Amino acid sequence: MQPMKATVIPSTTRDLTERLIALERCEADGETAPAFRVCDKLRRPLSMLMGTQGYRALISRALTLAQRESKLLTSVRVKEDGALECLNSEAFPVAALLAKQLIALLLSFVGEAVTLRLLDDVWPTLRGSETTQGDLDDSKRQS
Amino acid sequence: MTQNGKVKINKLPSGVLGLDEILGGGLPEFSFNIIAGAPGCGKTTLAHQFMFANATEERPALYFTVLGEPALKMLRYQQQYTFFEVEKLNNAVRFVNLSQVLIDGGLEAVLEEIGKQVNSLNPGIVIVDSFRSVLRSKTGPANEIEVQGFMQRLALLLTSCEATTFLIGEYAESELQDNPVFTVADGLFWLYQTVERNSVVRKLQLMKLRGQMSVPGLHTFRITEGGLQAFSRTLGLTGKKRKVPARKRLSSGIPALDEMMGGGIPEGDSLLIAGASGTGKSLLATQFIAAGIRAGEPGIVAVFEERPDEYAGRASIFGLDLETPIRDGTLEVIYLRPLDLSVDEMMQELLDAVKRTDAKRLVIDSLAGFEMALAPGFRADFRESLYRMIFALTGLGITILSTLEMEESFTEFRFSTYSISFLTDDIIRLRYVEIDGQLRKIMMVVKMRGAAHSPDIREYEITADGVTIGERLANYSELITGIPHKTESSGN
Repeated sequence: MQPMKATVIPSTTRDLTERLIALERCEADGETAPAFRVCDKLRRPLSMLMGTQGYRALISRALTLAQRESKLLTSVRVKEDGALECLNSEAFPVAALLAKQLIALLLSFVGEAVTLRLLDDVWPTLRGSETTQGDLDDSKRQS
Repeated sequence: MTQNGKVKINKLPSGVLGLDEILGGGLPEFSFNIIAGAPGCGKTTLAHQFMFANATEERPALYFTVLGEPALKMLRYQQQYTFFEVEKLNNAVRFVNLSQVLIDGGLEAVLEEIGKQVNSLNPGIVIVDSFRSVLRSKTGPANEIEVQGFMQRLALLLTSCEATTFLIGEYAESELQDNPVFTVADGLFWLYQTVERNSVVRKLQLMKLRGQMSVPGLHTFRITEGGLQAFSRTLGLTGKKRKVPARKRLSSGIPALDEMMGGGIPEGDSLLIAGASGTGKSLLATQFIAAGIRAGEPGIVAVFEERPDEYAGRASIFGLDLETPIRDGTLEVIYLRPLDLSVDEMMQELLDAVKRTDAKRLVIDSLAGFEMALAPGFRADFRESLYRMIFALTGLGITILSTLEMEESFTEFRFSTYSISFLTDDIIRLRYVEIDGQLRKIMMVVKMRGAAHSPDIREYEITADGVTIGERLANYSELITGIPHKTESSGN
């Protein structure tokens, strides 16, 4: 049996996620990785939209995909309410992989315009910075 | 706001083309509505259309999902419709998922959460989708009082907060009776979707709408890229005055035929040209529409059996230029996509074309093609639908010429098939006769409502100039059987 391939994230999705992480880095408390904070900030609005179970399914899928890229993320678990539990700080340096997969899933399901609307609510300063709407044309996930 | 001391109920646009007419002007503001129907019949789309048409930042829409379609998938698909405005998302339109609340706390917690959200956001529109799932766990006699109490409190909560509300649920029609949900509602929309042979037929019914006159009955609707489009049974002509034509006579384009009809076709009449294949029905219709163009009367031709360019090309063989008026916009040749139409959709197409061109003449070529173009489920109602269509169009002062192919019989003579002659004011019958070893053609005016006409049976030919009517065949009897006999006066 062949091992499953890791999902390749397009560069524009990576850029978008990097910007979210950068915004969170500014508010870093040192206790968790900024990328995990990105996921956690998205948890509330996405749970509101999809329900707790819906969000939990989405973040779990993102984690599965991210774990294919780095074994260090096997120490990360998704709790009942969709929050992340990190058992080992070794996962912090690769946490961005999880945030990227989460954003990529959103882009894949609801597209660029809706995704950016959802992100706008959480990070009002996101739009108008480096990447603008329309720059994510190649954001479809490639497998 | 009051009018003579009575409260004025504002009517909100439904966002669905054709539905406001059915609603009697729009949806009553602050009404409490249920959208019911089987899965896949367009309930969620209908609610989305209303929501996007009315939600504003000041009075946003709150869309609660429970255990139905996952919100992410719903957004994925609903954004494909043209009415979906991404800019309104999380701004004028807000989605809230209640599934966890229902699982954790039951109906009471759902009610509390809806109340909490409503109070904090002050929405103008509240939609709960799929509402049925909220109540499913509470069916049965033991829970009826609890459900009824929940419904009443929810209705009170929603109406007292000045919101127009929708509950979306999958119900069977058999559940209509004895279900408290339907008693509480101000408006009850029921959507149907049935498969008729290879076609899907969609209809909606407003079973109830408090406070205003809606159009009763089943109305066809279609789901397009713009969402639902409804076709009112009354074709949007409710309350409109019928135009009473001045009864001037319109030329058929054939002077001898005008003479047979006592001066032409009475304006606003419905004329049927019936005859066997090859007798020249379509040519007569083309000459009628071309005569109208020459007289400055815009026209519409609805064809089912050939494409518009073919129709114009065939007319040119007889020296009739239809391409110029088509280019000028005074003539529209409408080819209606066959096989799954409803009469209402076709009517809407024709009415739109009438408005565009200010048409005075309409040709339907042919009724048999029209019937074949309908979805099988609509064919059963063909005559009733035809009646509505002709009544509506002649009511607008339009003169209609329809063609009807008839099976030629040499043992009997029928005026028209389908028993639709009662729908028409005037009937012209074309038929073949055998005379002197030749297959020749005769024409007669069978009926003209309230007008004198010639009783002559006249021979005609199809020439390069179109239909050319000859003299009365005076020396033959039993012409209408198709096998006439020469009379003595003919010299035999």
